[in-house]
Amino acid sequence: MSEPSIMMGGRSRERTPEPLTFLKCLSCGVENSRPFKENDYVLKIVEDEKCPKCGGTRSKIVNIYVPEKKESK
Amino acid sequence: MVVLFAALLNPSTGGDNILSLLLSLVWFAFLMIFFLYPSFGQRMQLSYMLRDLERKLNKLKIIKDEINQITVETIKRVGKPEKDPAPDINRLSEFFIIQPESMDPYGLVYKLEHILETGESVYEQEVAKLAPHATEHQVKSLTNLVEVLRGINTIYRVVRHYYLLGKKTANIYMVLQIQMVLPQIIEIAESYRQAAVAFSKGQPIGDGVGPLVAAKLVNGMEKERYEIAKDTVVQEIELENRKVYVVRAIGPGGTVGRPGEGVKQLVEKLPENPKLIITIDAALKLEGEETGKIAEGVGVAIGGPGVDKYKIEELAKSRGIPLYAFVIFQSITEAITPMRESIAKAADQVLEKVKQLILEKVKSGESVVVAGIGNTIGVGLG
Repeated sequence: MSEPSIMMGGRSRERTPEPLTFLKCLSCGVENSRPFKENDYVLKIVEDEKCPKCGGTRSKIVNIYVPEKKESK
Repeated sequence: MVVLFAALLNPSTGGDNILSLLLSLVWFAFLMIFFLYPSFGQRMQLSYMLRDLERKLNKLKIIKDEINQITVETIKRVGKPEKDPAPDINRLSEFFIIQPESMDPYGLVYKLEHILETGESVYEQEVAKLAPHATEHQVKSLTNLVEVLRGINTIYRVVRHYYLLGKKTANIYMVLQIQMVLPQIIEIAESYRQAAVAFSKGQPIGDGVGPLVAAKLVNGMEKERYEIAKDTVVQEIELENRKVYVVRAIGPGGTVGRPGEGVKQLVEKLPENPKLIITIDAALKLEGEETGKIAEGVGVAIGGPGVDKYKIEELAKSRGIPLYAFVIFQSITEAITPMRESIAKAADQVLEKVKQLILEKVKSGESVVVAGIGNTIGVGLG
């Protein structure tokens, strides 16, 4: 079976959206976010990351999503 | 030569007349072509359309090759196979499922269920063989990834078929039809590319909003948990003295489980009928509608081939259990790509609405079944 021969033009492809992981500290309850890491999942207990506020090392992943750009008024 | 040409163009040497004559001859030649060969214009249009189709087909091929590369690399990285998995991945990308014969519709749903379950098991076993070091959850996500590859491969083959057939038969109407739908096909293919990235990294997708609501409902309140059907779990919680049975697929691997069979098995085991069965799922929005919009209604909110929906409807009808449903609107692209903020935020709102519905419709001491429908990739059980 023949393959098409003309190569496509230089139109840029869509960027893959990068999600953020939202962690809630189990000591002080403060929520913070960081870029998604492989093996992250919602409701996972993370033991090796320090809370930026209280320094607690146990936190729970409460959300993972791609933040939407806020429209400027 | 140059002197002669200049003389021809010079009005003082009579060139004006010769030029006019030449131009008239050219126009006459064109006229004769269109007169003697009426489909000439259509031929030109066909060749233009085929060139456009060829460009878009190449774009599809690039996306397909990229997804293939992501799949091979992820299986190598996660599964650490001893031999190159590429030939087996190619074989799996051509895997097919033959729909049951529907001339005699009696028992069709169960025939379809049997074929789909067989296909799913075989596919999962094949992927597990390719990735011997992958965990159970990772095998499920890798299976999803290979399914994405199978999907894009089918799209590419079908488009190529119409392109080549149109070219061979010079059938402008065949080419026109595929050219008209290609922009949407390219958009879907682009979504597949993003979906492949999400599945390779284990990121929650828009379709996972149902299990996400279920996970948030159970979070920290689970009393008991047990597997009720393949890849499907029941988590029992208590909400202001009401017993809530939450049914969902087992995460964080990518699977939709068997919610129909799960709800059926659960309700048949319960000493009394639950007061309600509530299903929560993602639904396709119409163009112009807002992503993350919530709608509520009655019935069973489950997409797919219909087996799960049928089972819950049958059960509810035979036992007289009311069916309530919540859907969260999103596009096809948003459903299979990493979850957007508006969908994640909608999950919190649906959670409140589900709680409110339970407190309104279910009396203290009674029970209710809540089923979170969708792909659980990146959504754990807690």
